[in-house]
Amino acid sequence: MRNRRLAWAAAAVAAGALGWYAWSSAAAPEAAAVASAGAALPATSPFAPLSASASAFGDANRRARAEQLALWQQRLARAQDTLEAYRDSTRYPYESQPSSAHPDQLYPNRPIDEDHALRTRDGKAASGVRLRTSQERVFVQGSESVRFTVSLVDEAGRTQPLRVSRAWAHELPKPNTASLFPEVPLNFNDDGTAGDAAPSDGVYSATLQPATQGFAQLLGAIRVEVDLQYRDERGMTLFDIVYTPQSPADWQGGVREALEDGSLNFYLGANVRVPGRYVVTARVDDASGQPFALLTFNDEVAAGAQAFRLSLFGKLVRDGKPAFPLTLRDVDAFLLRPDAFPDRLLMPRLAGIVHASRSYALASFADTEWSSEERSRYLAELQRDVDAARTRVDQLGRP
Amino acid sequence: MRRWTGSVLKGAAALAALTALGATATNYSLWINGRTGGGQLGNYADFAYWGPSSTAAGVNKKSVNWDGYNHVSDQSYLVRNALDCYCTGANWCYIAVHSAGNLMIGYNLDLYGGSARYKKTPVPNAAGECTNSDGSTQTGWNIKWVDVAAGAAGGSELSDAGSWTTSEPLVQDLKTTTARAMYNHNNTRGKMFYMYAGAKGTLYSGILPGQDDEAVAYHSSGGVAGSSGGSYCNPSDWFCNDLTLGTGATEGGHAKWTNHSVVFRDDSESYNHYTNGNWGGVVSKVRADMALNAQ
Repeated sequence: MRNRRLAWAAAAVAAGALGWYAWSSAAAPEAAAVASAGAALPATSPFAPLSASASAFGDANRRARAEQLALWQQRLARAQDTLEAYRDSTRYPYESQPSSAHPDQLYPNRPIDEDHALRTRDGKAASGVRLRTSQERVFVQGSESVRFTVSLVDEAGRTQPLRVSRAWAHELPKPNTASLFPEVPLNFNDDGTAGDAAPSDGVYSATLQPATQGFAQLLGAIRVEVDLQYRDERGMTLFDIVYTPQSPADWQGGVREALEDGSLNFYLGANVRVPGRYVVTARVDDASGQPFALLTFNDEVAAGAQAFRLSLFGKLVRDGKPAFPLTLRDVDAFLLRPDAFPDRLLMPRLAGIVHASRSYALASFADTEWSSEERSRYLAELQRDVDAARTRVDQLGRP
Repeated sequence: MRRWTGSVLKGAAALAALTALGATATNYSLWINGRTGGGQLGNYADFAYWGPSSTAAGVNKKSVNWDGYNHVSDQSYLVRNALDCYCTGANWCYIAVHSAGNLMIGYNLDLYGGSARYKKTPVPNAAGECTNSDGSTQTGWNIKWVDVAAGAAGGSELSDAGSWTTSEPLVQDLKTTTARAMYNHNNTRGKMFYMYAGAKGTLYSGILPGQDDEAVAYHSSGGVAGSSGGSYCNPSDWFCNDLTLGTGATEGGHAKWTNHSVVFRDDSESYNHYTNGNWGGVVSKVRADMALNAQ
């Protein structure tokens, strides 16, 4: 499919100029430009048969027709691409997708590494060096802590001497609002202590635990600012986190699995204090530890004892043929707060392996594609677009 | 009596119009702005952010205005209002977005794209809200595809270290780590995101990695996946991995977000980030595509 899309992209670039010229020159702006794909051709249309008396305009008509053909070929390609992508993406439900379709969602608890220019306070970039940073996570809950690191390398990747002259954490309040929380100094060190992985390796580390460092009551954003010095250059960097002090629900009762309607469902028990729309994401690995699927739950949940159902769709198992037992790991969850910032209240994350499944025969799983009203609605509409464009291309391609 | 008859006739005409709007399948082109905003919120005819409203920019074009200043999560209801109005029931939408509008549509599709939506009659009130058509609901919205000009869903390094005013809530969202952690960018609910990436950037070339349009770098405008950005360039640059066309991985093997396809890469470094009040910069490429294909 990717090769076909690449070919489409190339064709689109080639046809774009011709097609756009034809469209903009042959049609009046806006309303008149809306050519209904199934509409009959007017007698004055460039698609109408040429009369003998029009021979003087034959070349112009042929050119106009060719331009219209190029236009509709491009529309057909777009319609086909849209349909194919939708059909391919929805063979399995959105809530049960192959891990290959979500490559950056598979290891949510790995530190986020970045490589930046070393920014000076006047907005310039220091030359010849790069600043490397990491932070453990962006969204932080309860008693979790976050480790931050900074180091400097030259263009060959060799560590360069760096001094952290000052670092502090503070709330990012709403505009024109004073913070009610203190500025908290942070100690970036390269001593191999207090969260620093190794002494004297040029990587400076600091850890912030909002709950114990002055932010226990803050539902909001915290910024860590770091002033740096490299030789005679003064630089800076920033880290942001979003903190949830109180969980809206707690995990309770472990995980239960059930093979139901040809799919393997994992039920994660929870005691929900705050009702609303919950978003839960979990990863499934096969028996060799290879990522296999990304499972999500996104629905309204009432208060009380609940079970979040994460479903591993039958056909995904049939197609992917993973080795059992499967493991469910790295579950994160939050209550979505519409029209607010922060937009989520985090539940405690479940890091690492949460559950190992039983083993099942492949034949236990259903082998049918996902079906739903939504999918049917989309496939019907997108197929109509393909058919209409193809009809036009066929009409225009006839001698 | 005459006044009463006139009122009845007017009411009947309005009812007929509403009924027709509710029953007839209509396509719309929705334009979602980026940082700074400019159009009146809820006024779908106000194209102040983009350029002259007389310019062709897709069938039945509507300007989905949000303030371009506050957090995406605070403002996202404005986009959902528009999607409810024009992209439910028998009606379908093409979407065009610019810059942080990319973050806005991606956020709504991932987090709200599977929610039950009331089908609406596409006649908005002053706040941009529409009334329910028949009281029934559907799952998600009817969206055919999304065109993305200078997409900022992957954040911008200009937010990372103070090039933009950091007191702006949206600028906080646009920090690269935050933008990329905000939602699952791969979950477009099956819709293609066609990415248009400009490269006429010089002012911040030391800060923005690889090619940029003066506000976002290719890692974002090209839809490259990951929890952080990276350096991607045009093929003419031998010392930097290429941002490839299409959905395939970049040179160097970095995947793009699922269903994100680069259809325009600015090899001649001719398009910058800014509309200049006249559908300018890389938005001009998207406008042309919408006029051509959003029908």
